[in-house]
Amino acid sequence: MTTADVLMLALGAVAVGAAAAVVTTRQIVRAGLWLVVALGSLAGLYLVLSAELVAWVQVLIYVGAVVVLLLFAVMLTRAPIGVSEDLDRSRWPGLLIGGGAGLGLAALLIDAYQWSTVDLADGAGAEEVGAAIFRSWVLPFEVLSVLLLAALVGAIVISRPDVSARVGR
Amino acid sequence: MGGYLGSYATLGLLLAVGVLFFLVAMTANRLLRTNRPSAAKSTTYECGLDPVGGDWAQAQIRYYVYAYLYVLFAVEAVFLFPWAVIFDDPGFGMTAVVEMGIFVGVLALGLLYAWRKRVLQWT
Amino acid sequence: MNGFTIATPAQVLAIDVRLPDLDYAAMAPMLVLFGAACLGVLVDAFAPRQSRHTIQFALSFIALTVALLAVIREARVGSRELTADVALAIDGPTLFLQGTLAVLGIVALLLVGERALEKGGPFVSQAAIPVGSEADRRQAREEGATEVFPLTLFALSGMMLFVAANDLLTMFVALEVFSLPLYLLCALARRRRLVSQEAALKYFLLGAFASAFFIFGMALLYGFAGTVSFGGIHDAALLATTSPLLLFTGLAMVAVGLLFKIAAVPFHVWTPDVYQGAPTSVTAFMAACTKVAAFGGLLRVLYVAFDRARWDIEPVIGTIAILTMLVGAILAVTQTDIKRLLAYSSIANAGYLLVGALAFSKEGLSSAMFYLAAYGFTVIAAFAVITLVRDDDGEATHLSRWAGLGREAPLVAGVFTFLMLAFAGIPLTSGFTSKFAVFGAALGVGEAWPVALVIVGVVTSMILAFPYLRVVVMMWLSEPAEQSPTVAIPGAFTSAALMVGVLATLLLGVFPSPVLDLADRAAEFIR
Repeated sequence: MTTADVLMLALGAVAVGAAAAVVTTRQIVRAGLWLVVALGSLAGLYLVLSAELVAWVQVLIYVGAVVVLLLFAVMLTRAPIGVSEDLDRSRWPGLLIGGGAGLGLAALLIDAYQWSTVDLADGAGAEEVGAAIFRSWVLPFEVLSVLLLAALVGAIVISRPDVSARVGR
Repeated sequence: MGGYLGSYATLGLLLAVGVLFFLVAMTANRLLRTNRPSAAKSTTYECGLDPVGGDWAQAQIRYYVYAYLYVLFAVEAVFLFPWAVIFDDPGFGMTAVVEMGIFVGVLALGLLYAWRKRVLQWT
Repeated sequence: MNGFTIATPAQVLAIDVRLPDLDYAAMAPMLVLFGAACLGVLVDAFAPRQSRHTIQFALSFIALTVALLAVIREARVGSRELTADVALAIDGPTLFLQGTLAVLGIVALLLVGERALEKGGPFVSQAAIPVGSEADRRQAREEGATEVFPLTLFALSGMMLFVAANDLLTMFVALEVFSLPLYLLCALARRRRLVSQEAALKYFLLGAFASAFFIFGMALLYGFAGTVSFGGIHDAALLATTSPLLLFTGLAMVAVGLLFKIAAVPFHVWTPDVYQGAPTSVTAFMAACTKVAAFGGLLRVLYVAFDRARWDIEPVIGTIAILTMLVGAILAVTQTDIKRLLAYSSIANAGYLLVGALAFSKEGLSSAMFYLAAYGFTVIAAFAVITLVRDDDGEATHLSRWAGLGREAPLVAGVFTFLMLAFAGIPLTSGFTSKFAVFGAALGVGEAWPVALVIVGVVTSMILAFPYLRVVVMMWLSEPAEQSPTVAIPGAFTSAALMVGVLATLLLGVFPSPVLDLADRAAEFIR
């Protein structure tokens, strides 16, 4: 086994364990924090696979921004900090579906690729991604900005503190 | 150990040391300290006053909008990295600048909207 | 085990730096709508409060008209091409569906822009304000939210991109662009806010789940084909060295994402709640335009990328189509709320559309496209009528409240009767011609599955006629309830939308041939 293989296995184990903790913990805030671990080890996996840019994007967006957003969303709800008994329902169907889907997909991928090998690039990342985005994928890229704008406008419309009220005060 | 993964060895080492430091410190603490829990010790300490009521407060939606704005500009930053690497390459140049300009411009529109809706104003 | 061979930097940098050719004329409809939506955001930020509604409506209307003209111009030129580095396919189905989307979008926009029925319009921002609070009373006096116009335009531009998308990545981005504004629009109702927010949340969570399926399927298909473009997947299916299981699982997952959007059973559970909870004009928009867009995407995926896997797909999607027709029709019978009834009817109609799609022939494609256009007009008109029947509490959607409406307001009841008959597929309405076209196309193939589907289709059509006719009987023959709802006098916009919807339903029933021919000429995908 090469170093990369060892790292892959270790990070994979951490990712799976943390993901299991996300769905089994009874404390919703801890679920959010376990998510940080799961997403972080996924970033490590990308890094080992020499997708440097993707790895740091994962850290910046998912570990950094999205989890913060999630935790704020939790704080907005009436969920108290601490154990929530109603967080879990019907464990067995969940386990069955989740585990079944995971194992099924794993079997599918193992069957599809078996022992085929893939050469890894020397961890450049940014240049290929940049070239691909600005060469082939210009249109989806620009449309993405529109999507983000729509989401921002929507978030503000739904949540906007009453503007006129504060004008009157 | 060299090449691509080797370049991350320092970072990995630093992470390992960090985790180790935390573990050693906490374990040493646990082994050395006395442990006599009581109800009074686990109450919230606030300037010597007895706390009244729960400690939970619903966060304002404003925090969420700020957090979302952060996501928005994190995404923008993420696209700026690959762009910064390639825009000087032959064949991209002005076109890539314009493309990124449109992207940033549309997002700036969102910021402008947020500003006009006084989302950026705290009080 | 796996060896890591490191590519040399020279290999990495050997990048073809050709920039894609963008055919701006072909992209004009989408670009116009994107631009107008961004402009709409600016209007909302800077225009004075009183004039926002007028400006926004005018802007959206003009933008949609220009987009329609751009589509027509492009169709006149007869463009058949891949552009934006094969990300977009500008072909017959694209142009037909984009044109349909523009027209239906204009009609739905009329409903969204209607303010005569309710002071300040049916939309409010910050809908979380509790009823009866100070803020609520103040909000009742204020102008409603005008952000609905840019959001509608965002959604429509996403839909136009969706029907043109020629690879899975562009399709996914387009899917999000048209879904996200819809989730938001669902949550902005002025009346019955909790139901509206519940609808939005359900739609959002399930929609996000469906999107996750789509993107996972996309990853598997990329693993199979090494590309996400439909043409590439098509070629890879022919020359595959990788396991075909990857292809089928990928297709199944992508299909889940798309079948969710078209509300096919078993991915339909959101439909009744969302149709009921959303503001009625938004429901009309969803029922007409989302269906067009989602089916456009599904047709392209099936016909362009997976036509070689046809024999394997047919039993699965055929079963889904049968379930969709049966569940939609049978559950429609038990409904007591008119919006839920139309939701189940919309589910059943998704099943009829799948019958056309599964014919896998030119006729199947053209009949499905015709069906989408015809159904869109009828359903918008039906929801327009629902916005008119009101009591103090907003719209009276419970069926018992509609009893005796024929005596109160014969004209509105008459119009609704006509629309119900169209849904039921009575001759001389578009409902008949479109069902006839779809079933005819399926029978024309002359194989076992299409024929079985047609049989189920006819049987469920008969079941489905019952709830429609029950509404009609109720309106004309029942005694009015104690406090019967009033029928509001429609404003100019609603009247116009109703007129267009009813006329289209009638004309497509009596003289369907021009549109049928148009759909027929357009029914050819390029790869």
